[in-house]
Amino acid sequence: MREILRLTFRNLAASKLRFLLTSFAVLMGVSFVVSSFVLTDGLTKTFDAIVEDSNSGLDAQVRARVDFEEVDFVDLPIDEGLVEVVAGVDGVDVAEPGFQSMLLVPLESDGDPVETTGSPILSFNWTDPEISGLALAEGSAPESADEFVMDVDSADRYDFVIGEQYDVVGTAGREPFELVGLTRFGEDNAVAGAVLMSFTLDEVQRLTGLDGQIHWIDVAGDGVDTDTLVSRLNGALPSDVESVSSDVVVAEEKDDFSGALDIFGNVLLGFALVAVFVSTFIIGNTFNILLGQRVKQLALIRALGASRGQVRFSSMLESLIIGVAASIFGLGGGVLLALGLRSVMNAMGFALPAFDIVISARTVIAALLVGIGVTLIASISPARRAATVPPVAAMRPGFRFGSGEGTRRTIIAIVLAVIGVTGVGLGLFGNLDGTPLVLLSLGGGAVLVFVSVAMFAPLFSSPSASFLGLPLEHLPWSRTTGHMARENAASNNKRTASTAAGLMIGLALIGMATVVASSLKSSFRDQMGSTLTADYLVNHPSDQNFSEQLAAEVAALPEFSEVSGVRFGSIRVDGDTKDVTSTDFASLIDLLDVGVLSGDPASAANPTSMLIHRDVADDRGLEVGDSITVEFAATGEQPFTIGAIYENAFIIGNYALDDSGWEANFDTRDINVVAANIAPDVDEAEAAVALATVEASFPQLEFETNDEFRQRMEGQLDSLLVIINVFLGLAILIALLGIANTMALSVLERTQEIGLMRAIGMTRRQTRSMIRLEAAIVSLFGALLGLVVGLFFGWVAVIAIPESIISSIDIPLGTLAVYAVIATVAGLLAASLPARRAARLNVLDAIAAA
Amino acid sequence: MSEDTRTNPAETREGTGTALVEPIGDGPMAATAVGLTKIYGSGDTQVIALDHVEVGFQAQQLTAIMGPSGSGKSTLLHCMAGLDSVTDGDVRIGDTRISDLSDKQLTLLRRQRLGFIFQAFNLVPTLSAEENILLPLHLGGREPDQDWEQRVVESLQLGDRLKHRPSELSGGQQQRVAVARALVTRPDIIFADEPTGNLDSKAGNEVLGFLRRAVDDWQQTVVMVTHDPGAASYADVVIFLRDGKLVGRLEDPTPSHVYDRIRALEE
Repeated sequence: MREILRLTFRNLAASKLRFLLTSFAVLMGVSFVVSSFVLTDGLTKTFDAIVEDSNSGLDAQVRARVDFEEVDFVDLPIDEGLVEVVAGVDGVDVAEPGFQSMLLVPLESDGDPVETTGSPILSFNWTDPEISGLALAEGSAPESADEFVMDVDSADRYDFVIGEQYDVVGTAGREPFELVGLTRFGEDNAVAGAVLMSFTLDEVQRLTGLDGQIHWIDVAGDGVDTDTLVSRLNGALPSDVESVSSDVVVAEEKDDFSGALDIFGNVLLGFALVAVFVSTFIIGNTFNILLGQRVKQLALIRALGASRGQVRFSSMLESLIIGVAASIFGLGGGVLLALGLRSVMNAMGFALPAFDIVISARTVIAALLVGIGVTLIASISPARRAATVPPVAAMRPGFRFGSGEGTRRTIIAIVLAVIGVTGVGLGLFGNLDGTPLVLLSLGGGAVLVFVSVAMFAPLFSSPSASFLGLPLEHLPWSRTTGHMARENAASNNKRTASTAAGLMIGLALIGMATVVASSLKSSFRDQMGSTLTADYLVNHPSDQNFSEQLAAEVAALPEFSEVSGVRFGSIRVDGDTKDVTSTDFASLIDLLDVGVLSGDPASAANPTSMLIHRDVADDRGLEVGDSITVEFAATGEQPFTIGAIYENAFIIGNYALDDSGWEANFDTRDINVVAANIAPDVDEAEAAVALATVEASFPQLEFETNDEFRQRMEGQLDSLLVIINVFLGLAILIALLGIANTMALSVLERTQEIGLMRAIGMTRRQTRSMIRLEAAIVSLFGALLGLVVGLFFGWVAVIAIPESIISSIDIPLGTLAVYAVIATVAGLLAASLPARRAARLNVLDAIAAA
Repeated sequence: MSEDTRTNPAETREGTGTALVEPIGDGPMAATAVGLTKIYGSGDTQVIALDHVEVGFQAQQLTAIMGPSGSGKSTLLHCMAGLDSVTDGDVRIGDTRISDLSDKQLTLLRRQRLGFIFQAFNLVPTLSAEENILLPLHLGGREPDQDWEQRVVESLQLGDRLKHRPSELSGGQQQRVAVARALVTRPDIIFADEPTGNLDSKAGNEVLGFLRRAVDDWQQTVVMVTHDPGAASYADVVIFLRDGKLVGRLEDPTPSHVYDRIRALEE
């Protein structure tokens, strides 16, 4: 046993370079996983501290009692008069009204609206910093109606200076305010890029059209027990208002943060797992190659008396050590990567706060699991094969490994493929319960499909490589080297296939994302073209709501005929939360061709009528004229009559209310989009001029023609695709590393051959060319295989995604071809270092190497 | 398009120095070395593989280099063939001083003017026999003289083996392919390092017979390292090394003469 251990360690020590190369691929995968945990854990800790800090002066809070949010991120307002009621309750020391809105937009000194990368612009009423956590850093608090303050970082970022006048856009358009002070939230103003403004309570109410209303009341007790205080408050408050302890508030706010962080963390983890998956292939390949080089040594120790079990054990122990090393270094690498990610994201404008490096037990376990798991899994097969080397191979040259139970492999591959496709199908079409189960089915299924493709690949990698390499032989400058490259790539189908497998996975995912995105874009374009018939659209670039005043102002212009504001909110139907849209039913079909099947929207323009999508009608067996009960956050359950049934859910969704219906049941009035038609006999130029006056009052909004709007939406899709591809690019990077790795080890394996060829007249340049071209062939093979698999996944995904989002498949062959070319060139470049080493081999040493 | 052009810097020889070896007749020298020294390592671990060796290999002859292990015979071959650098001395293939050449020039020299046969691992496993034979030409982007290739293949009895991979050939057949490769470029010299070391006596004698024919019928020059007196007897002249020095020479060798000389050296 001790001898086996000693042998294992000596093996590792003897080939440190191989050790490093091998562990590096695993290390990258582990780092990626660790970084996602470190980032989320660190940010959670930071945000938790912020939440606790800012609520430390609070004992209880009074707010509207709601079962669900009627509009995302918007609180239901309560009556300002309740402050007095609360202040009068026994045990209450301080009762501060709280107001929050995302409606207001400040303009920079050049008139451009302040723009963030997704962080909100929040406006508050100025209150006691002890309670709110927002303290003055400089200057003074807003006291009169034309004063406001802003947080220090935003003021710095957007060049807001104390003493200067700035316009703020509210319900009634833009109005001037003087910046009188700068604020800081908590110690570091860690608000992740959000812009915080405070006004006097009266002003912020007026600006947002919510006079006499507030969103919450912060309560500090005079020493009485918190629970007692809360129950006393609840006793004194009307039924639609509730009081909760600060613990509840803190817990809710922490939940909000972790909800958002979780999504981010899971996305990152998803990409990390892709990288890990790719690493596994790389390592498996590497181990197999290393094995090939060790045949003599293995045979020798078998001849000297080591059992098969001992050989297997030694191989797996070696892998285990590599895995542990990769895990440990991966922890460090993950921390560095997390810090790097933060820098990158901040450079993109996300303003993530600094965070402590938190390495939780979960992170360490994950690192070990991934690092050790990957290496052990990858080494199972090589270890088994190592044990099959017979002792006699030490003396007799030309031992070759068995071609690996061909039929058994094929059967396993087929079984895995079937299970994998089933898993994917179940995940997409199977109505599984709960997101984790769906993701498991999808992700697990996809993994199995990839594995089975990788297992099938050796069956056709030789002829494929041979075919792909054919053109090289006909190019005058690479006839011989191309021929050699082609022969080398085609000769070892296992190695070619498993090298290509890494690239295959990366390109399959990119291919799938490209097909889905492309189909999404073209469906969107089609739908936009056929459904959204409005001539003009107004909305906020970050999709923020804005005042309904805008719709009124546009409607007042004679140059426009039909005008409707569109609002998006939530309702509950039979206990399930659903999206609801409101428009002006009278002008609906002139602006949005929803494909009315029965009924008439225009005649249903009243507060008790609702329009539903055909799917809802079919599910519930409803017809025009039937009744449906719907629950609202503000007004509870209300009966509605079905005014019309339509088939096109694009933009309007499944449930639609008339403006009157919304106004009767929702407290918020803000709108998200304004759609307008140019009046007949008015040309575009005239309409644009007329609109310019309204534009001046609301500079933060985009006023666009139908075409311009569509182009901007498509642009956003393109940006999303770029981000996804960048992340997938990291997985590709690992695959390229794998190619470099394999070529390096393959050069080691072919040392004698290269030495021989150098002896009989192959120049260094020809050597380099030979290695690089082989890598190019293998890469192209992997890329093409990946794109084919990606096309399949993309097609399946498009089928699974509902018709309303993607109506037809679009396969951008040109783009995919470009990806294949890039992958080939990248593979060629990845082999540069191994190629140089091959060229620098000492000819004599190489020939003599055994 | 041929990427190969014969590079042949013209150089005149300045004085021959004292030659330990006297050529047979007045035939020209295919390759010469004067003061050839090869030292490995430095300081205490220094190994003097070749010690001021002076030798000439006559053209159109089969010369055998022999000596006990560690004598430097393989090193001498490697240095003469431009496969190894020399520490000191003047090595020439014909009139070309090879110690001056860059790696690229040496590579081209080996490709165009030399042929090689190694003891083992002579052939590229992924190429067929024919492809292996034509490899040096193809590396230079040239095609063979069809008649010549035909003649070589027939003489070596490889006609029906051309499409086979090395793994499908016996040891003897592999060596014959190596010989064919060495011949097809009509080189100035063929260097063979223990060409029959891995073969049984029958196959070995076949190969040696071909090498002999190459010299007699086709005016080739062959320099061969061997430890086998029987193989050495095929040569026109045998030179002996010991401890990196040239210590003797034997013309028209017979196996027993060669054997006696070896015995004498090893004492």
